[in-house]
Order: sequence, then C-alpha cells, then structure tokens
Amino acid sequence: MQRIHRTEIARRQLQTAVELFLQGLDRSSVITLAGAASNVLDGLVRKAGKEAFIDYARRVHDHLVGGTPKRQTYSHHIDKKLGVVAHKHLGAADPETVELDLEKQAADVLARAIADYTTLYGQDEAFVKAYLQWAWVNTDGPAQMEAFKSAPAKLRQQKR
Amino acid sequence: MSSRHYTRFELAHSQLEAAIALYITNRDRLSAITLAGAADVLLSQLVLRAGKQNFTDRVLEKELATGRAAITREVLGREVNDMLFINQLKHFDDDAQDVIELDVDQCALAAILKALANYVDLPEHQRDLVLAFKLWVQQNLDPKKYNIHCDPNWTPPPAED
Repeated sequence: MQRIHRTEIARRQLQTAVELFLQGLDRSSVITLAGAASNVLDGLVRKAGKEAFIDYARRVHDHLVGGTPKRQTYSHHIDKKLGVVAHKHLGAADPETVELDLEKQAADVLARAIADYTTLYGQDEAFVKAYLQWAWVNTDGPAQMEAFKSAPAKLRQQKR
Repeated sequence: MSSRHYTRFELAHSQLEAAIALYITNRDRLSAITLAGAADVLLSQLVLRAGKQNFTDRVLEKELATGRAAITREVLGREVNDMLFINQLKHFDDDAQDVIELDVDQCALAAILKALANYVDLPEHQRDLVLAFKLWVQQNLDPKKYNIHCDPNWTPPPAED
C-alpha cells in the first residue's frame, strides 16, 4: 500500500501528459490525464485560497459576454469543449462518433492544467518549463503577451 | 490542426494501449489507472450496444448467485471503480482527504484487466494488443498469486492476514 498526496497524483498525471504530448504520442491519453489532473488541481488551488483557472475564466466571460456563469456548469462546458468528456463518458443515447481536434484540444487541456499547477507550485519543474517553452514557440507567445498587456487591469490580476 | 470524426472505440483503444504501455514499462502506473478507467467507461457501453453483457453485468450475476441483495449495474460499477481508485484519481471533492492509500500496482493491473475484458468482446479489438499484454503477464507475474495462463480450474491462494 502507498500513501499518496493529491498533489503527487496531479503532478504524475500532468507530467506524464506533458511527456506524451511533447513526444508526439497519443493525444487522447494527454486529454484524459491532463483533464484528471485539472480536476484535482482545481480542488487544491481552492483549498490554498487562490484563484483557480475556472474562476478566472468566469471573470473573463463576465467581461467579454456579460454575466458570470455557474462554476460547475461552466467547468463542464469547458470540459466538453476540450474533448475531456468525450474520452471518459458515453451515455446510452450518445452518438457513436464524435468530432474532435485532438492536437489542439490536447494542447489546450494541458494549458488549463498547467495554469493551476503553476498557481500552486511555480514554473521551476522541468516538465512545466518544457510545456511553457513549447507553448511560447508554437502558440505565438509574444503576441499573446501583447494581447494580455492590453487587457483591462482587472483581468491582468489574479484574485487571491 | 484539424477536426475529424473519431469512433468511441478508437478513443477507448488509444487510451487502453497507452495504459498498458505505461504499466508494463513501469513508467507511470498511477496514470495507467486513470487511462484504463476512462477507456473502460466507453468500452462497457459499447459492449452493451453490441447486445452483450459487459464485465460489470457478469460480476453482478455472480454476486446475485452468491446471495447478495439486488443492486443495479450502475451501483456495482461504482463500487468496482471505487475499489480501483479510478474516481479518486480524477476528482477532488471538497470533503475528500488530501491523502489516499492504495496499492498502485494492483489497482493498475485490475483496471487494465477489467477494460480488456470488455475490449475483447468487441469485434474491432486488436488481437495483438491483447496477446502482448497476456505474454507480459505470463513472463512477469507470480503464477502462485495470479492465474497467468487463464486456467478455468485455477483457484486463488488463501487471502493473507
């Protein structure tokens, strides 16, 4: 028997997801592992009294669209958009096939999990640096930073 | 980057294959539990859609035959998943403990075997994946502890205190 802290569970799932992703291996497994890590990290971030990715996303929604969606509903909506639900749930009435962009969704699920991970543990671990470097190069980091700088101050600050 | 349609079987197969690779290489058996668990959710439903009993149905039949009070497939499925820590590895409820205690190797092996039991009941399954895992089992697991040759007359050893 092993005693494992939730932090270690999230770290191992996320680290393996990043490794699979950067090695060009199975995108479906990246999505499921990063999705599971996200769920655990969300609880840990809230327990630490910090702002989780989903709560920041709700603030962005309020700014861009108006209105703050319910936490659980919005979280499920994002899980569906990122392909997480299609990989771990199949109801009796669900269709046999599903349309996915596995490459983009795998990158995006990792981005969400890494956001919560860095909120708690910083950016020093090798697998975190490796993903952030990949994202900087492949998703036009400089342009994203410019867009971030021009966002309203309330969206540039993390709530504690 | 582009979208295309995937069958649920394809999504399940990819995850099960990765779970087996992570398990037999001992690269990350904790993640193997999560992947096999997710694959099995899809496979269990696909087996039902094929008009067959899935793994949980077969366990349920045995449980009822040994006198257990009637329960549903869903309740038993949750019990099995809880026993294998599949849910605890992908959720963190407000009232949950920070630390969980589990035998990672045993849970990963059982989660993969459960998913494989459903996988082989589907016509699209890849025989090579099943045979490769079976060969690994025969060469690496203790024959006194595990039924590595799938002998129907094999009996498990008495439980340790």
